[in-house]
Amino acid sequence: MAAPDELFVWEGDWGLPSVNSDCLVLLAYAQFSGAPLKVHKVCNPWRCPGGAIPALRTAHKEALWRPSDIIIHLRKQKYNADFDLSAKEAADSLAFIALIQQKLTPAVLYALWVEPKNYVEVTRRWYAEHMSFPLSLFLPGRMQRHQLDTLRLLRGDASLEASEELEKELYGDATDCMDLLAQRLGTQKFFFGDSPSSLDAFVFGWLAPILKCKLPNGKLQQHLKSLDNLHAFCANILLIYFPNNSAPRSGRSDECRDPEHVPNRRTKQFLSALAALGAMLSYALLTGMVSVQHGHKGAVEHSGLSHPHQDDDEDD
Amino acid sequence: MSLAADAFVSQMAAAEPWPESATLYQPLKEDQILLSECASSLAVQAYLRMCGLPVQVVCKANAEYMSPSGKIPFIHVGNQVVSELGPIVQFTKAKGHSLSEGLDDIQRAEMKAYMELVNNMLLTAELYIQWCDDGTAAEITRPRYSSPYSWPLSTILAYQKQWEVRRKMNAIGWGGKNLEQVYEDVSQCCQALSQRLGTQPFFFNKQPTELDALVFGHLFTILTTRLTSTELAERVRGYGNLLSFCRRIEQTYFEDRTS
Repeated sequence: MAAPDELFVWEGDWGLPSVNSDCLVLLAYAQFSGAPLKVHKVCNPWRCPGGAIPALRTAHKEALWRPSDIIIHLRKQKYNADFDLSAKEAADSLAFIALIQQKLTPAVLYALWVEPKNYVEVTRRWYAEHMSFPLSLFLPGRMQRHQLDTLRLLRGDASLEASEELEKELYGDATDCMDLLAQRLGTQKFFFGDSPSSLDAFVFGWLAPILKCKLPNGKLQQHLKSLDNLHAFCANILLIYFPNNSAPRSGRSDECRDPEHVPNRRTKQFLSALAALGAMLSYALLTGMVSVQHGHKGAVEHSGLSHPHQDDDEDD
Repeated sequence: MSLAADAFVSQMAAAEPWPESATLYQPLKEDQILLSECASSLAVQAYLRMCGLPVQVVCKANAEYMSPSGKIPFIHVGNQVVSELGPIVQFTKAKGHSLSEGLDDIQRAEMKAYMELVNNMLLTAELYIQWCDDGTAAEITRPRYSSPYSWPLSTILAYQKQWEVRRKMNAIGWGGKNLEQVYEDVSQCCQALSQRLGTQPFFFNKQPTELDALVFGHLFTILTTRLTSTELAERVRGYGNLLSFCRRIEQTYFEDRTS
């Protein structure tokens, strides 16, 4: 085969290989199926095919964005994590993936992007710090509006806003969903015996951020931590399939939380100096401490006059 | 329905028995109702019949606007109004009628998962074919949806609804699909349901559950509704056990009223 497919995912943090659930699902699926992808961890969607993350650029330079399309593409290339499943297990897998999409996904989106405290203190901050300068000003906000729109359309309520009632409802659905998953998992290592399948990738992708991300409003995390087997399931996948992410990355993420550490330090220093200089200059100009002389041309024409200052005053 | 209202309803519900005057509202059966609405309504009717709860079906042109959640169908019981199958199941449970009592934890988890599968794939596919397939939307969906209203309101409402559904499809990632991919999804969903059902009379052996009602509602409607193309029904017809499952439920619970 020619060059390997390239997968573009959000950078990792909090001990996870990526901070985004869709990306985690794909990374986990690729690990489980053994697909040799060239993974690019990026923080600038504009440098990815189609301007969206996650994205897959195939060997034939085609681009795919929807996680399900990417998984189908990998499956067609014989990288199938569900190869060993019986027909009934495959049916169960499809059903539980639907359950996650309907019940867990909206709650995770809400927790990260809509809940005001979580969004301002964690999500927006993370994305703004990791993006380069002009993008960090507007892209997190745009992503948030997009997620809110998605949630509104999913719920069929065009005026949906963050509220306690909505939170209770979504979190109620999500905790029910986690309970059902925990019951289905039981004491097994993976959902269908000893080897992981696409369902395991989906469960991991949507639960791991809840487990690892320290949100000010962490009700979902509390509930997940009370379900020992699901908790252990996520930790286990991280340990087996993403060993170099869990240990050294966590060290780096501590560093990120350190207030002294600022990414793009030089650019930011330069820009703030520029802004300060601009402000001082405009203040000086406006208050008349410094004035720009316009009358240069006039002064040349009337060079015979002995009072160029008067000339200036007339021009003004 | 909100959780607070939910708790309130279940408290209220427990106090009163099921009245004889319970009513189910849906759009006009002949001229207005759409495939997806008909499927959801039939699912609720099947569920109530399985529980042995009498309900009178009333067709109203403005049913969509009467419903508390804007979704069809909804039931009016005593002084309460509840819409959609999920909340209705909760509501009847509070009144002491439940079909899933006998299941163990794993079975209940599987039942809920398969119900979401039906909602996620069959219902979405129905919506897609209705509103996003241009031929079906122009010939069937928009004229039927707007039939109670006069021009220009009819056109405005129909296009508004279509726009809303298309935006929803984009949000869940179905916007980029073509019709063939949607049929493929329907096949995949039917394949899973057929596997799960196997040779049993119901999904969880001898007793019907809300999953059976939901699957029946959707499959039966798909099989009996005429669209611009028969492809959707053909996809379902490929699964013999699902066909006999539909026939069995129709005979057992809808014997007296053949539509």
